[in-house]
Amino acid sequence: MSATFVNARSLDEALAALAAGARPVAGGTDLVVAARSGKAPLPDSLLAIHELDELRGIERGEGLRLGALVTHAELADDDVVRTRYTALADACAIVGSVATRENGTIGGNLMNASPAMETGGPLVCFGATVTLRSATATRELPLADLLVGPGRTSAAADELLVAVDVPAPPPGAGSAYVRLEYRRQMEIAVVGATCVAALDGGRVSHARVAITALAPTVVRVSEAETALVGSDGGAEAALAAGEAAARAAAPIDDVRASAAYRRAMAAVITRRAVAAAVARANGVDVPVPASDSTYGRG
Amino acid sequence: MTFIRPDGKEKVTGAGRYTADVNLTGQLHAKLRYAGVSHARIVRIDTSKACAVPGVLAVITHEDVPDVKYGGMVQDRLLFAREKVRWEGDVVAAVAAMTPELAEHAAALVEVEYEPLPPIVDPEDAMGDAAGLVHEDWDADGADEALVRDGNTLGYSTIVKGDADAAIASADVVVKSRYVADASQGVPIEPRAILAQWQGDRVTVWTSTQVPFEARKGVARTLQIPESNVRVIVPLLGGGFGAKCDFHFEAHVAALARAAGRPVKLVLTRREEFIAPDHRREGMVIELETGVRHDGTLVARRGRLVLDKGAYCGEGGFLGQMAAMHACGPYEIENVKVESWLNYTTKQPSGSIRAPTAPQVCWALEQHMDEVAAAVGLDPAELRRRTLVEPGSEGPAGQVLEEIGIKETLERALELIGYGEELPEDEAIGVACGWWPSFGNPSGAYVKLNADGSGTIITGAQENGTGAVMALPVLVSEVLGMKPDDFSLLYQDTDAGPWDAGSCGSQTTFNNGRAVVQAAAEARERLLELAAEELEVEQSDLELVEGEVRVVGAPSRSVTIKELAGSGSPIIGKGAAEAIDAPPVQAEGCVGRLGNESFLAPQVFTHAARVKLDRETGVVRVLQVAAVHDCGTIVNRVGADGQVFGGVVMGIGTALFEATRFDDDGHQLNPHLLDYKLVTASDAPRIDVDWVERPAAEGGPKGAKGVGEPPCVPTAGAIGNAIAKLVGRPVPALPMTAERVWAAAHEPAAAAA
Repeated sequence: MSATFVNARSLDEALAALAAGARPVAGGTDLVVAARSGKAPLPDSLLAIHELDELRGIERGEGLRLGALVTHAELADDDVVRTRYTALADACAIVGSVATRENGTIGGNLMNASPAMETGGPLVCFGATVTLRSATATRELPLADLLVGPGRTSAAADELLVAVDVPAPPPGAGSAYVRLEYRRQMEIAVVGATCVAALDGGRVSHARVAITALAPTVVRVSEAETALVGSDGGAEAALAAGEAAARAAAPIDDVRASAAYRRAMAAVITRRAVAAAVARANGVDVPVPASDSTYGRG
Repeated sequence: MTFIRPDGKEKVTGAGRYTADVNLTGQLHAKLRYAGVSHARIVRIDTSKACAVPGVLAVITHEDVPDVKYGGMVQDRLLFAREKVRWEGDVVAAVAAMTPELAEHAAALVEVEYEPLPPIVDPEDAMGDAAGLVHEDWDADGADEALVRDGNTLGYSTIVKGDADAAIASADVVVKSRYVADASQGVPIEPRAILAQWQGDRVTVWTSTQVPFEARKGVARTLQIPESNVRVIVPLLGGGFGAKCDFHFEAHVAALARAAGRPVKLVLTRREEFIAPDHRREGMVIELETGVRHDGTLVARRGRLVLDKGAYCGEGGFLGQMAAMHACGPYEIENVKVESWLNYTTKQPSGSIRAPTAPQVCWALEQHMDEVAAAVGLDPAELRRRTLVEPGSEGPAGQVLEEIGIKETLERALELIGYGEELPEDEAIGVACGWWPSFGNPSGAYVKLNADGSGTIITGAQENGTGAVMALPVLVSEVLGMKPDDFSLLYQDTDAGPWDAGSCGSQTTFNNGRAVVQAAAEARERLLELAAEELEVEQSDLELVEGEVRVVGAPSRSVTIKELAGSGSPIIGKGAAEAIDAPPVQAEGCVGRLGNESFLAPQVFTHAARVKLDRETGVVRVLQVAAVHDCGTIVNRVGADGQVFGGVVMGIGTALFEATRFDDDGHQLNPHLLDYKLVTASDAPRIDVDWVERPAAEGGPKGAKGVGEPPCVPTAGAIGNAIAKLVGRPVPALPMTAERVWAAAHEPAAAAA
C-alpha cells in the first residue's frame, strides 16, 4: 500500500498530478464519507486542491462564474444568488448539515454526480455550463452533458472541473428548489424538484423543470415545461407540471422510499416547486430555503 | 433541589476523556473479522495470509480461546464462531496489528469458507416446522430454568388472569388490532472502544460499558480466569441507551492482548456500531384483542406477541414476558391472557435498549385503546380516566398496586397540552399512558470524609450520561449536613467500588441511592461519636448543619467536620442495599415466570403530543409534547427533567424515523446515520415537563423510583394517536414514516396489508 498525497500550490501542479493518476479532494464531504462507510476506499493517490485560489470566488458579470471551490454556504448566503438564482440558494441552504455546507464545494457536488445532488437541478435549469481543464486542454460543456449516470460524468480522469458558468436568467424569472424532507436537518434528497419560470404579462414565457433523485441523473421534464409555457402559472398548470414530472420519473425502490411513493411525491414536490417559483416571479416573498415554507412548518 | 452535574463542563467543552482517548505505550490496534453472511456452516478458517502481513502480531480464532459458551440467560454463544455463523456480525477472527489500517487489511485476509444455510429472517416464520434451527443444539445450552424453550423459541411466556376467552365471548364490543414494529438501535454517539493490558495473569480492561461488573464476569468466564484477575475501568461513557449493557467485546480484546503480549485497543466504526453489537431494539408483531362493555369497562384482553430475538440470547431472555406486561398496560382489566414468543432468527441479536419492549408495545396498545374508545363512543381521554389503575387496583397478574399517580399524570398532561381546544385542520393531539417497573437490585457504596473537609463517594454504580451517579452527592450531603460540591466520586472501577448491576433498568438512584444514604448514615454516626466526645454532650443533642456538628439550640458550641475528619480518626461509612423483590402475585396461570409478572414500584406516565400532518406527503412534524411522570420523589429536578427532554426526543425518533431495515438474507440495509435517521435538534418540539410525586412505599431514597427509561416509552403512542385522528385510522407499522403515513392516508387497502 503506497499512498501519495499532493497538496497542490498551483493549478498547473494540480493538473500535472491529475495527469499522473491522482484523484482530487476539496471539501471531502463525499470522498471521506464514502471511504468511512466502506462504499469506496480512498484513492491511493490523492490531490488536495483546497488551497488553489484560482478556483475560488463568485464572479458577477451578466451571469455568474462560480469557482469550483465555492462552498454551499457561500452560495446560500450570496445576495445575488438569493435574489436572481433563488433555486440554487434553496438547494445550497439544505445540503447535508452546517458542516457539510461549509466544507462541501460546488465542484465536488457536481463531479460526484449523485442523482440526489441538490445543486444539479437548479444549475441545469439555469442552463449552466462547466469548464473542464486538463494539463493539455480546456473545454466547456453544458452541465446536463457532464452528468451521464449515477456517480458518472463525461469528464476524463485527467480533467478538473475549474468553473461553473451560469447565464443570466430571463427577465421576470423566479425559481425554486423543493425537496421532500423527512426531518428538518441532515437530509438527503429522496425526491427533489426545480422550477425556473419567467412571467410576461401574466403568462409564463419561459419554463425549466428538473427532477432530482428520480432518475439516474438530474433530468429536465420537457413535458412539464411545455405545460407551463403560455399558462398563467397557476394551480392548474402546476398540477399538470407535477403530473408530467411523475410520468418522467424513473424511481427506484430502496431503503429511503418505494418507487411508488417516490413517483407520487414527484408530482407533489414538483407542483410545489412550480408554485414557489411562480410566486417568486410575481414578487411574493417565499423565504429561502423554499422547502421550509412549502411544508407549512409549525 | 437543583444540582448541576459536575461532569457536564468537561463533556461539553471536549475536555472529557473517553475510552478511545486512552492510549498505552506499545499498544496495538484490533480489528474483528465478522461473518458477513447471516447463516452458514463454517467449512474452513485459514489465518495464514493474515498472519503473514508484516506488523500483524496476533490473529486469533475459536482455537485460541477456551471452549466456553456464554450468555446472560441462555449460554448459546462462543467468543469466536466455530461450527456456524448465525448473523452477519458473528465474530470469526480477530487481529492485532501495529496500526488500525494494517489490522483492517489483515482481518480482510482471513479466509473463511462457508456452506450457506437458509436464513431465518421472519420471527413468525421461525416458529414453523419449515424453518431450520438457529441453534441445533439448543437443548444442551445452559439456560435460566424459568425460560420455556422450544425449537427457535427461546422464551415462551404468558400473563394470565381469570378466563379471558369466556369474557371476550360475553363482551359488548370486541376490538382486534395487529401492529408491527421494526427493529431499531440504541445509537450511542460514542462508538464502543476497548483497551486491554495484561500484567502477569491479571488483565485491566478500559471499556465503554454500562455494566462493568457484567463485563468483568464475561471476561472471566470466557477466558477461564478468576474474576479477581480482571479489572474493568470505564472512562467517561458517551451514552449507552442500553446498547452498552451486557458483555460484548472485552474478552476478544483481552485475548488478543494476551496473544500479542502487548496492550491492544479496539474502536468500532459507526458501521460496526450498527452491525456488530448483540444489542438492538427488537422487532415485534403485536396482536391485541379487547372485550369491553359499553361503559368502557375492560372485561378482557387477549394478546399474541412475537418478538425477533435475533441470533443469540444474551441477557434478553426476559423480553417476552416484559412485552406481555406492557400489552396489558396500567389498566384495570378483569381477565387477561397474553402470550408471547421470543424467537431466534439469523439477524443481529436484540437486547435491552432503554425500556426494552415498552415503546413498541405501548405504541400498539395505546393506539388499540383509542380504537376501543372509538368503538364504544368514548373520548380517548375519558376511556383512560375510567380504566387506568389507582391505589388498590389489581395489576395484570393480580398484583395489588399501592401508591400510583397515573390518573394525575393524565389530567396534568391534558391540561399542559390544551386538550380539547380547537386546532387547525392539519393538527391533532394524541395521548398515551404507560408504565415501567423499578428493579430492586442489591448495591453497595462507601463514603469517606477527608482531612480537608471534603468527602469521597466510592461506588460500583456506572454513569451512562443520565446524571444518576452524578447526583449521588445530593443524597449524601443531605445526610451529613454538607454541600453536594464537597464530594468527589470514585467510580466505574471494579477494583474500587462494591458490586453493582450497572447503568441499566433505571436502577442507579433506586438502589445505589439507598446504598450511599446508608453509607452516609454510618459516617454520620461516626461524626456524632467523635463530636460528642469533643463537645462533651450526648449524641442526641447534636445536629449536622453547614459542615459542622452543633449542639442543638446552642449553635456556637460546634466542631467542624473538617476538624473531626482531620483528627486522625478515620471516618468511613459503608452501605449495602439489599435486593427488593417484586411484589408477590398469585399467578399460577402464568408460564415462563421470570419475575416481571408483577412490577415493583411502577413508574407511570402520560404523554400528550400535538402534531401537524402534511397530508400530501405523509410528513409529520411534532409541535409539542406534554410529558408528565410519577417517578416517586424527585431527587434532582434538573436531572430528572433532562431525562424527559432526551426521552421525548428519542421517542419521536421511535415514532417517525428510527428503523433498522433488513434484506431477505438478514443483512442490515441502513447501518449508517445517513439512512438510520435520528431526530436532530431542529426536529425537537416544545416539551412541557411536570411531575406527580407519589413517594414509593418500598423504594429508593425518600421514596424515589427510577427515571431514566420511562420518558421514551409513551411518546410514539401519543404521536400515533394524533396521526390516527388526522389520517382516520392508525398507522399499523412502526416507525410511522412519511411513506407509511401517506399510505395509510391514501391507500387503506395497501396499508392494512
